[in-house]
Amino acid sequence: MTDMSKIRNFSIIAHIDHGKSTLADRLLEACNAVESRQMEQQMLDSMDLERERGITIKATAATLKYKADDGEVYSLNLIDTPGHVDFNYEVSRSLAACEGAVLVVDASQGVEAQTLANTYLAIDAGLEVLPVINKIDLPAARPAEVKSEVEDIIGIPAQDAPEISAKNGINIHDVLEMIVRDVPAPTGDRSAPLQALIFDSQYDPYRGVIVYTRVKAGTVKAGMDIRMMATGAAYKVVEVGTMSPMGLIPADALGAGEVGYITASIKTVADTQVGDTVTTVEGGATEPLPGYRPVQPMVFSGVYPADGAKYQDLREALEKLKLNDASMSYELESSIALGFGFRCGFLGLLHMEIIQERLEREYNLDLITTAPNVVYRVTKNTGEVIMVANPLDYPDPMEIQLAEEPFVKLNLIAPQEYVGNMMELAQQRRGEFKDMVYLDANRVELHYEMPLNEIIYDFFDALKSRTRGYGSLDYELIGYRPSRLVKLDILLNGDIVDALSFILFADNAYPRARKICEKLKENIPRAQFEIPVQAAIGGKIIARETIKALRKDVLAKCYGGDITRKKKLLEKQKEGKKRMRTFGTVAVPSEAFMAVLKLDED
Amino acid sequence: MPIFARKHKTPLGIYVHVPFCRSKCTYCDFYSVCDNSLQDQYIDAVCTHIREAGEAASLHIVDTIYFGGGTPSLLGGEGLSLILSAIRKSFDVSDDAEITFEANPDSITDRLLRRLRSEGFNRVSLGIQTDNDEQLSQLGRPHDYQQAVDAVKKIRRHGFKNLSVDLMYGLPGQSIQNWIHALANISKLNPEHISCYGLKIEPGTPLCKQASALEIPDDDLQADMYLSAISFLADKGYRQYEISNFCKKGNVSRHNLKYWQGGEYLGFGPNASSDFGGQRFTFIRDLRGYIAGIKENGQILREVEDVPFRERAGEYIMMGLRTVYGLDPKEYEKKYMLPFGPLEEKLEVFRSRKLAVRTFDGRWHLTGEGFLLSNDIITDLLLIQDKCKPIAKRKK
Repeated sequence: MTDMSKIRNFSIIAHIDHGKSTLADRLLEACNAVESRQMEQQMLDSMDLERERGITIKATAATLKYKADDGEVYSLNLIDTPGHVDFNYEVSRSLAACEGAVLVVDASQGVEAQTLANTYLAIDAGLEVLPVINKIDLPAARPAEVKSEVEDIIGIPAQDAPEISAKNGINIHDVLEMIVRDVPAPTGDRSAPLQALIFDSQYDPYRGVIVYTRVKAGTVKAGMDIRMMATGAAYKVVEVGTMSPMGLIPADALGAGEVGYITASIKTVADTQVGDTVTTVEGGATEPLPGYRPVQPMVFSGVYPADGAKYQDLREALEKLKLNDASMSYELESSIALGFGFRCGFLGLLHMEIIQERLEREYNLDLITTAPNVVYRVTKNTGEVIMVANPLDYPDPMEIQLAEEPFVKLNLIAPQEYVGNMMELAQQRRGEFKDMVYLDANRVELHYEMPLNEIIYDFFDALKSRTRGYGSLDYELIGYRPSRLVKLDILLNGDIVDALSFILFADNAYPRARKICEKLKENIPRAQFEIPVQAAIGGKIIARETIKALRKDVLAKCYGGDITRKKKLLEKQKEGKKRMRTFGTVAVPSEAFMAVLKLDED
Repeated sequence: MPIFARKHKTPLGIYVHVPFCRSKCTYCDFYSVCDNSLQDQYIDAVCTHIREAGEAASLHIVDTIYFGGGTPSLLGGEGLSLILSAIRKSFDVSDDAEITFEANPDSITDRLLRRLRSEGFNRVSLGIQTDNDEQLSQLGRPHDYQQAVDAVKKIRRHGFKNLSVDLMYGLPGQSIQNWIHALANISKLNPEHISCYGLKIEPGTPLCKQASALEIPDDDLQADMYLSAISFLADKGYRQYEISNFCKKGNVSRHNLKYWQGGEYLGFGPNASSDFGGQRFTFIRDLRGYIAGIKENGQILREVEDVPFRERAGEYIMMGLRTVYGLDPKEYEKKYMLPFGPLEEKLEVFRSRKLAVRTFDGRWHLTGEGFLLSNDIITDLLLIQDKCKPIAKRKK
């Protein structure tokens, strides 16, 4: 075990693209944790998807051995955090495992929305926040101004902040020295009952679940019988150790203040929920660490293979993903239009997109996703209360006594000049204004109560565009409230396409129905006959568009030299048709489903 | 002495690609060059090539020969005659062979016609395109309409009894009235055969670059133009026999029919294609490279494709549905050992949409509306064909 005075636990936080992952790479390099020739860019973002999108989806951690200028060797535990509102809870747990946070601010862009949101999360977690000014070698860099900005807007001292270029490795040493100097050493009694915070876990086919943990009190070692305090799952520890970017390094024990991993032949990540406390079965802690919240999917959507025959493949892929992602849920559903598929639950829309992309990429599946929805609560005339996560299960209006939808408390933060824009947006989305607080001379926080359904579509994007990227949001569920809800059905050529049905607030039905019909008209290719596209509530048509019949799809010339080319052309056309799903007589490409999901983009 | 009597020989078409033009038309992406200095070397190379190929075709009888381009008439009577003689010397050419050359009105001369007529050419394909001089100049055609009218007169005077005329619709700024006007004028010239092609903007052509600034008729208008051509020409005694081809009784292009009915053909010249001995192949799209390749025994092939049997069944649908002869269920099942039933089921759907008809003897072909949607229809049928299992051979 490492002497606590030689341990520093920290995260790096930043606005997107300000250089968080690049700085992490440089720190790893500087500590020789990775030899540079073995180094793939952005080592901590191990998923392809993370590297491509430039975002961190899963938290990861690494221990770095750093010999400081004072001659001592320190253990620096770097805990990487995800960076999106969908994962706010995960971020808060990662931060709870640290004593300090390195705040990376772009020297030309200055303080931005996520800089603020993430800094406040860190301050709330009681962390020492240490600013670093990055990208100082860019022509537009204005480090002095940005430092003042950090002091004025965030209110933390920044005059001594290192001025660095993570990309080109300038002044990385200063950052390491700052971490050693300014991040407080952890505290905790290593002989006390065990309390270890789970901040992430990952399924490994050979070892079972690997639990990433920060020991807050006591000591954990191989052979111990442990228990997860929230889920109650109990296991015998097989191995403990620390993480290096090159792999896991076993250790005899992990004591209070240390960050590392535990393996215990755990079969599923559902047993090791983020935020839960690990303790011993005998003589364990009486109280768990604060802040645990069971993960609950907020957004549901139907996920179907584009090719119906791939249903088994999708099922296997979901099973494998679930091993690694406790926040996702899935259960079998079937649609008349799409055949067998799954109703999946996600933390939010980004989470949904990520899962979908991973399924398509890592498991080579073509998917059709139906419109996301929240879980509605319906009280029938019989007094029976049902939870509706699938529009197909929505009862006939005649049977409904009371329909309710989930509401959230929504906090919006942005510079004051955007208050008008934010209010307009919140109002459009049925937000009920609560109050407004000036955080400082410039920044304002607005509080609303709003149906969750209004947030899951594209609220985050709409907020960003109306606040030039400065707005940030956070929300928490406050319960169900009565609402006027209707189920909207879409008909193609007279037949209901059940996979396109969804539930929404009655007053939104007309404009949305019109938009959906328009989008479908744009995205469904013209066929050999005219196709009416209709939207209906309980049999009453409320919107209609017509897709005109295709008139011309012909190759005028086809002589000796054209045959091979024409064959290739038809082959392509065939592949295009194969990717479409046929509803009655109408072939619908999966893009049409996607377009319906992105209704509010224009 | 041939081992086989002529009646047992397989028919063969010969295509000669003449890659020379006076100027490039703005819509054209065929292979041609405007530099005529290589004409003699080209003729030498093609003749050598023909002599070499002749040995491989001793079991074939050539019953159609087609000089296309480019502008074959630019080679002049002497040049075309040299190549035709080479073909006659190296292949067994039937006495009633259809021998066509393509020409532009501006390169039609009495001297040329006299020579070609005496060599046995019996069909002329004349690129007129439209009767509107403004449209002609926009297309970059090197002639006006009056020259076309004069050319037709000359062609008739020299005794050519089989004249085909190329027309285009869907031209920039063209209205449906313009188009009918052009058809009326052309039908007055009384050609035996008319080809009507919808203008297609090919990527990389000069027209493609200007396309956004031009008023090009949209698909719906083009479709109307197409359908009106079918009925107008029917009134004038021209029967449609292929998507873009119309003729008076008995005047189908026998050469082109080979492409649509799975016949064998050999192509010569750069970028010419062949379908011979179960292989489809195309020569390089480069005049100098072709000449050098023939001279030095180098590589002139650009693409070779062994067409598997199963793919031929797909081609039968794809090419067969271009013509009014259409698909013959009996022929199809016998030739490809695949069931026609599943296709017929779909064809019935097309019939209900007035896109296809079934003839009294059980064949299926497309209607004018069906021709317009032929790509869509063919892909539907090919998807069904892909799922068909071969018919098991019956035990006797």
